[in-house]
Amino acid sequence: MRFFNSGNLRLRLTLWYGSAFSVLLLLHIGVATYVHYRQLITQAFRAANEETETVEGLLYQAPDGQISLNEDYFNHPQVRFRLDRLFEILSPDGKVLYKNNKLNGADLGGAPLPNEGITSHNERFLKLSDGRNVMVVTHFHYLNGRPLLLRLAYDEAPLFVNVERFLGVLALLAPVTIIVAMWVAFTVTGKALLPLSSMVRRAEKITAERLSERLPVHDPSDDLGHAARVFNGLLQRLEDSFAQLKRFTSDASHELRTPLASIRSIGEVSLQTVHSSEEYRDVIASMLEEVRRLTHLVDSLLVISRADSGQIAMQLSSFSCMDLIQEVIGVVGILAEDRRQTIQVTGSAEVELAGDRGILRQAILNLVDNAIKYSPTDSTVLIEVQRKSALTAEISITDQGPGIPMQEQTLIFDRFYRIDDGRSRERGGTGLGLSIAKWAVEVHLGSIGVRQSDAGGSCFYVRLPLGK
Amino acid sequence: MQILIVEDESKLAYALQQGLEEEGYSAEVALSGEEAMLRLERGAPDLMLLDVMLSKRNGLSVLREFRRDGFHTPVLLLTALDSVEDRVLGLDAGADDYLVKPFAFPELLARVRALLRRTTTASQSALELADLQMNLTGRTATRHGIPIELTSREFDLLEYLMVNRGRVVSREMLTRDVWKETMRYTSLDNVIDVQVARLRRKIDDPFEVKLLHTVRGVGFVLREE
Repeated sequence: MRFFNSGNLRLRLTLWYGSAFSVLLLLHIGVATYVHYRQLITQAFRAANEETETVEGLLYQAPDGQISLNEDYFNHPQVRFRLDRLFEILSPDGKVLYKNNKLNGADLGGAPLPNEGITSHNERFLKLSDGRNVMVVTHFHYLNGRPLLLRLAYDEAPLFVNVERFLGVLALLAPVTIIVAMWVAFTVTGKALLPLSSMVRRAEKITAERLSERLPVHDPSDDLGHAARVFNGLLQRLEDSFAQLKRFTSDASHELRTPLASIRSIGEVSLQTVHSSEEYRDVIASMLEEVRRLTHLVDSLLVISRADSGQIAMQLSSFSCMDLIQEVIGVVGILAEDRRQTIQVTGSAEVELAGDRGILRQAILNLVDNAIKYSPTDSTVLIEVQRKSALTAEISITDQGPGIPMQEQTLIFDRFYRIDDGRSRERGGTGLGLSIAKWAVEVHLGSIGVRQSDAGGSCFYVRLPLGK
Repeated sequence: MQILIVEDESKLAYALQQGLEEEGYSAEVALSGEEAMLRLERGAPDLMLLDVMLSKRNGLSVLREFRRDGFHTPVLLLTALDSVEDRVLGLDAGADDYLVKPFAFPELLARVRALLRRTTTASQSALELADLQMNLTGRTATRHGIPIELTSREFDLLEYLMVNRGRVVSREMLTRDVWKETMRYTSLDNVIDVQVARLRRKIDDPFEVKLLHTVRGVGFVLREE
C-alpha cells in the first residue's frame, strides 16, 4: 500500500486506475464465462429434447417385444456431442428395455422418479457410475400403445472444454488489456498533470521578494486552470498587502524621522553657542513638544498594527447615534467655538447603532475634528444622521472647507496620505486619523467615503449597521 | 520616603532618580533584577518603580518573588507593553499600578503620590489658592470675591488643577482624568489647549496676579509665583 501513497501523483493515479480496471475486467470475465456456460447448458438441453423427439420416431419394436433403435439416422456432425448421446429406455416399472453402447453398461438414472417425463421433459444433471457428469432429458412415450420412459443424456465434459477454451482466450487477453489501459492512463494523466508540474516549478520561484510572479494558466476552463487563477488571485492579494506593508513601513519611518530630525537639530543648534538658561528651557520645551508628537505617532501606529493583526477586541452594544455625536461635539466642539464655527446637527434621534461604542466614537471624533480643522472660521459644519435602509444608518459630516479633489477622494483614507503636506502637519495631524476612522468603520462591516458637497466643501459619510 | 527604581535603561533610571529627589523623595537605582533583589534583602523601600522588560530577569518574576517574600510595599510597573493582557498580567503578579512608556514625568509623580498616600483620600468640599476659591458641592468658583462663571468642563478642569495645585499636570493626565478619554491614541491636545486658554481668560485675565501657567513641553500648573 505504501506504493500507493508515494508522492508521485501520476504513478498513483495510474496504479489506482489499473487496479480498478483489473478488478472490473476479472469480474467481467467471470460473468461472461458463467453466461456462456449457462447458454451452452440451455443449448444442450434443447438439443437433447429435439434429439429425444427424433429418437421417438426411430424406435421400433421387434416381434418378440424387444425395443430397438435405428441409430444410423442422419446426425448433425457439427454438433459433436449429439454423436456422443447416451440413451436408455425403461418400462414404467423400472425395467431397462434398451441401452446404447456409449453408456458402457452404466445406469442412466436408475429407477424412474414419480411422474418422470410426464409433466415435463424432466431435465436434470447426473453423475454416472463411471464418473462421467451428464445432462439427462426424459420423455414419456407410447410405442404401439406400450408406455416407455426414454432417457437421453449428453456428457458434460466437451461442454466444459468449450468453457475452458473461452475462459482461456479471455484470460490470455486480460493482461494485455490491462497493460494497454494502464499505459493509456499513465499517458493521459501525465498530459493532464503537465500544467500542474509547470505550476509547481513556477510556484517554487515565488518568494517574498518575487511576489509579482504568477502561475501559468494553460486552460482557464478546466480544474487546474481554475486552481491557477484562484492561486494567482491569492498571490495578487499577497503582493498588494506586501506592497502596502512596505509602503507603510517606509512612510512610518519617514514620519518618525521628521520629529527626530527636529529634536536633533534643535539640540545640536542650541549647543553650538552658549545661551542663557531661559533659552535652554525653551530649547528643551521645544524638544519635548517634538517628543510628544513622536509619542502620539507611535501610539497611533501601534493601534493600526494591532488593528491589522485583528488584536483589538470589540465590546459590542447597541447605542443611540445622536448621543454619540453629542458626546463627540462635547469634546471637540470647543475647537469649533474657538474658530467661531457652528456645528449643526440634524436627523432622527432614535437611530441606534450596533458595535463597539469606543471604536466608533473614535471614528466620528476624527471626522468631526477634521471637519473643524479644515473649515474656515465663521463657517458651519453640518452633521446629519439618517436611516439609509432597514439595516443601515448614515452619518454625514459636511464642512465648508476647500473640498477634496476627485482624484484624491479615495487616497485620503490611505495611511499617511496628506493632501497638503505642510499644512496638516502644522495642525498636529499624524496622517493616520482617517485611516483609523476607516478601520473603525470597516471592522463594523460599514463603509466610509467622501464626496463633494453641493456648497463645495467635502462631505464625509459613514454607513453603519443599525442596532436592535 | 524611600523609592527604589528598578530599570535597566540607566539614562531613564538616573533621570527618574534626579526628578524624584528634586521632589523631595530619596531615590535609589537598581540597574538589574539581581541588583534589586540584593537591595531588597536590606529591607523594603516605601515604593518600588519596576521596569517589566529587564534584560536578564523579567520584572514580573522579581515582583512575584518580592510578593512571595511577604513585602507589601506598593509597586508601580513601568512598561512599554500596553495591551490589556499585559496590564492584567502585571496586576496579577502583584503590581499596584501600571504606567506605559513613554510617560510624562508629572504623571509618574502623580501616581507615586497616589500610591504613597493610598489611605488618605478624603474628599474635600472646598479648595483654595490665593484669592481663588472653589466650592465643590455647589460647583461654584470665585476669585477675589467675584463669582466666575464656568462651564461644567471648565469647572472639572479647574478642580483637577486645584487638587494638584503647585504641581505640573500633563496633557495626558487631563485627557484621562478630566476628559475621561481611555484610549491612548486619542489626542485631545488641541482641545485641552483651547480649554485651558478659555479658563485662563476667566480666572486670570481680569486679575493682576496670574495663577494658571503653561509649562511649555510638559503641561500646566496652577500656582502663585
